[in-house]
Amino acid sequence: MAHDLEVFWFSEQPYGHVTEDDLAPYESGRMHFPNTYFDPEKAHVLYSNYHDQYQLADEAGFDGIMSNEHHSSYWCMKPSVNVDAAVITQRTKRAKIAMLGNVIAVNDPVKMAEEIAMLDCISGGRIISGFVRGTAVETLHAGYPPTENRPRFEEAHDLIVKCWTEPGPFRWEGEYWPHRMVNPWVVPIQKPHPPVWFPGTGSPESVIWAAKHRYPYMNLGSLLDLTKQLKGIYHETAAAEGYEAGPEHFGYLIRCLVADTDERAQEIGRTFLWTENHRNRGPMEFNDPPGYQSREALRIKMSRPLIGTGTMGRRMSYEDLQDAYNIIVGSPETVTEKLRHIRRDLEPGYILIYGNEGHMPHEDVMRSVELLGTKVIPALKEG
Amino acid sequence: MTTVQNGSRTTVNVNGTAVEMYSGGNGPPLVFFHGAGGSNGWQPYHEDLSAEYTVFVPSQPGFNGTESPDWVKTITDVAHFNHMFIDALGLQDIVLMGSSMGGWVSAEMAAMDDHNIDALVLVDAAGIRPREGQIAEIFMVSADTRLKQRFHDPGQVENYEHYARELSPEEQLVVHSNAIMASQLCWKPYLHNPSLPHTLSRVETPTLIVWGNEDAIIPVECGHLFQQAIQGSQLRIIDNCGHSPAVEKRGEFVAAVTGFLNSL
Repeated sequence: MAHDLEVFWFSEQPYGHVTEDDLAPYESGRMHFPNTYFDPEKAHVLYSNYHDQYQLADEAGFDGIMSNEHHSSYWCMKPSVNVDAAVITQRTKRAKIAMLGNVIAVNDPVKMAEEIAMLDCISGGRIISGFVRGTAVETLHAGYPPTENRPRFEEAHDLIVKCWTEPGPFRWEGEYWPHRMVNPWVVPIQKPHPPVWFPGTGSPESVIWAAKHRYPYMNLGSLLDLTKQLKGIYHETAAAEGYEAGPEHFGYLIRCLVADTDERAQEIGRTFLWTENHRNRGPMEFNDPPGYQSREALRIKMSRPLIGTGTMGRRMSYEDLQDAYNIIVGSPETVTEKLRHIRRDLEPGYILIYGNEGHMPHEDVMRSVELLGTKVIPALKEG
Repeated sequence: MTTVQNGSRTTVNVNGTAVEMYSGGNGPPLVFFHGAGGSNGWQPYHEDLSAEYTVFVPSQPGFNGTESPDWVKTITDVAHFNHMFIDALGLQDIVLMGSSMGGWVSAEMAAMDDHNIDALVLVDAAGIRPREGQIAEIFMVSADTRLKQRFHDPGQVENYEHYARELSPEEQLVVHSNAIMASQLCWKPYLHNPSLPHTLSRVETPTLIVWGNEDAIIPVECGHLFQQAIQGSQLRIIDNCGHSPAVEKRGEFVAAVTGFLNSL
């Protein structure tokens, strides 16, 4: 049976009060930009708005809500995806809850396994548990050596899956988290365990890892040509592993906003470029400190020259990004047509709508959620 | 007997690991360990010292042309490995000298076992955390910043263009690979071992500590802390000099070292 398309709502939950002028004096947009610019009272209002958007997405017809986690970032006020997922369990009734995801390399894996299992029980089995390596800043923020990110990720993954699938107590002779007794009381409602997703932008190593584990790979908004090549690598790896990959193994994140008219959508959608000059600015070593990429990852990159690139590092105008289908804004009809193009081109099983940014007005985002849920998604699913 | 040119490159087998090494000179053995940036091979100050010593300059595990055995993950592992390296060469009664991270490794080696070490020379060594200052960030900064941190006055660095040059793709790979190993060894605790000031109390080897007064990476305060930790050690501070006195004040550096060794 063919996999039905599923559409997810996603909000980075930005702290939209930050401006280009605020950021300009600092050496980087993350580690150097001081938290004195954060006003908890304003954050209170923003969190409330973002949770209202979740609730409406669930009611309007989205199949799921996706959430994530970042640290030291004004553009994502979510230092814990599990906390946000707990909120989603209470603000929604039917939507799946995709966490993309927990930065398992820098957290206690047994506690992660327990928390995710708890969320799965609370939500009645609606959890999709993404695991991520995090950006290098997440590792720096947590105080771990960048060389340990990859091996810690691998060990944490294996230990979490074991917590979910093998009866306790058991012994874990790990390098980073050795335990003589592991015995989590709470286990997931979904068997053998909640679905696992793995994200990536441009790294072939991520695609190969996901394909080897048969986990759906979510491409986070790379340009279409690069995304198709990465998808090709997934299919090749799957074939080598002895299975055929389908749409259910592949998802795509896209920045998208709908308004009643094309003109209005064009105006609001410009905010997708909010502070884009600053968010990853800084010494290259912040994004790629020595050892964060393994020698093996470098080798794979060198052996697989990719023709496209992500959008990072490439200056593209609002219009260019729309022409490249990297930002989609418009009336329900316009957006439906453009999403159909992406669906034909990439054949994703999941479309993840990156639906707000910066200081986009809450009312406009709510209207976008409503139009997406009631008009665009049904039309898209018809074919 | 073959005649070997000064500074020639050879390979030494250390329990199955091929260690890249430059060596040359005549006289008692002097072993030099490089810093976190990796080996620069045979340098002018090695040549100077080789007039009175047989100088051995290995690339440490994971740096340059030396592979890293799987078990080498910390500076103390490197120190154990380097003891094996000295055993493999069959060297007796050596002068042990190290700069920056190499100084840290040398100090750990002496703290483990100094019976085979006749003299110890630590140059702007990592390994002890300053109490007042800080060890500068070396990993999360650009190559340009790192170069500025290293020298106090580029004008007094012979061949400065060499250090500031654009790297070839092959050189970039080596630099990147060295940085991964340094990151593995030095990230946490950052460029020091909290136990070292205590374990150094057993060292009886005559020790010279050399420091650039304007070291912007490891403050000169650390030189004083090493002197307090090693009984009877001498501290020689070189004025108007950054993190690499052997490069920036070569004449003064070599005179300080040979003067100390000749006094023993």
